Amino acid sequence: MILDLHNHSIMSDDGRAKVENYCQWIRKREIPLDGFVLTEHRQFDASSDYESLAGEYGLAILKASEVETDYGHVLVFGVNEAMQRAFDFARIDLPLATVLREAERCGGIAVPCHPGRPRVGMCAHFEAHGPVEGVSVIETRNGGSRASEDERALRLAEERGYRGIGGSDAHIVSHIGRCATRFPAPIHGAADLVDALRAGEFEAISWKSTSKS
Amino acid sequence: MEIDVEKLKRDWAGSTFDTAEFEIQAEDLRDFALACGETAAHYTDPSHPDFRAVPNFTSRYVGRRVLPDDFPRFSEGFGFDAGKCVSVIAAIRPGDKILAKSRIHDIYTKTGRSGTMLFIVHRMEFSNQRGEPVSIVDWRMVQRSRS
Repeated sequence: MILDLHNHSIMSDDGRAKVENYCQWIRKREIPLDGFVLTEHRQFDASSDYESLAGEYGLAILKASEVETDYGHVLVFGVNEAMQRAFDFARIDLPLATVLREAERCGGIAVPCHPGRPRVGMCAHFEAHGPVEGVSVIETRNGGSRASEDERALRLAEERGYRGIGGSDAHIVSHIGRCATRFPAPIHGAADLVDALRAGEFEAISWKSTSKS
Repeated sequence: MEIDVEKLKRDWAGSTFDTAEFEIQAEDLRDFALACGETAAHYTDPSHPDFRAVPNFTSRYVGRRVLPDDFPRFSEGFGFDAGKCVSVIAAIRPGDKILAKSRIHDIYTKTGRSGTMLFIVHRMEFSNQRGEPVSIVDWRMVQRSRS
C-alpha cells in the first residue's frame, strides 16, 4: 500500500488545494497512490469528514498534523484529544523533545519533516545544538525539498539509524504524488499507520524529477 | 525580535479601524470583469437582466489605512502581500451603495526557510445599502521579524 504522508489542504493557511481536487487529480493522472494524509499546519482538523470522498474515489484519506518546533517542522501521526491537550499545536517554538515524548505517550508518533532544509529542518539544528533523543523516523523524501536537502536528510538517517518516510508536502493539487511511502500491509486508519511507522515497516519513494537541484 | 502574538491579538484584533463608502457603477463592474478575462454576459454586459459583479470584484478595494495607525512594525513598510481570499455572500449590482469596514481579523506566526514570519490578516467586510453583507475579503500580509 502506498500513501503520500504529507499534504496540505485549504484548511492550512497556505494550502490552495481542496481535498476532492487531490482525489480527482490522483485518479485522472493515474498516480499510483492508495491514499494520502492531510497534515495541516499548526492544527489538527478534527471537524472535516472525508469518509464519503474516500469511498467515492477508493482512496484512504487520513488526518495528521505538522507542528513547528525548536528543531524545525514535525509531522505528528495518530493525533487524538490527549495529544492536543499535551501541547499547543499552534505554537511555533514547541520543544522537539516534548513533541516526541508526548506523541509517543498519547499513542502516536512524531516524525521530523524536510530535515535537510535550512531553519525548518532538523539537520541544521542538530549541528548547532546537538541531537535530540527519541527520534526514530524522519522524512527523507519531501516533495518540496531540493535534491541536496533530501540528500542531507538521507545522510542523517543513515548516520543515526533512522527510518525514512516520503511525503509530497503538497500545497497545490498538482504536487500530490511527488513522494510517498510504501507499506507492506494495508493501512486502514490512523492507528494502523502509527503501528506501521513504529514498527519501521515501510520505505520512502520519490517520483520527483532528478534534474531539480 | 521576539513577537508576542497573543498580546498583539489582544491589543489589535477585532476592532474596526477604517471605513469607506462607495457607489457601484455599471462601467466599473464591466471593466473589472473584462480585465479578469471574464466573458459571461451577466458579468460583462450591463444590459443583461442579471448583470452583477464578478465574484472577486471586492478584491480591488483597499482602505485608506492598511493597518491601524499605531500598529507596531516588525519590518520595513507593510511587508509583502501573501494573497487575498474573497468570500461571496450576495450579488453586487450597479447602483448599490457599499460600506466597507476594515479590521484586523487574525495575527499569527509561522516559520519557514527564511525564518520567522508574522502574518496579519486584514479583513474587509462589505455590506450594501440595505445592511446586507455581500462580501468578505481576507488579505494576508507578511512581515519578517527583524533579527
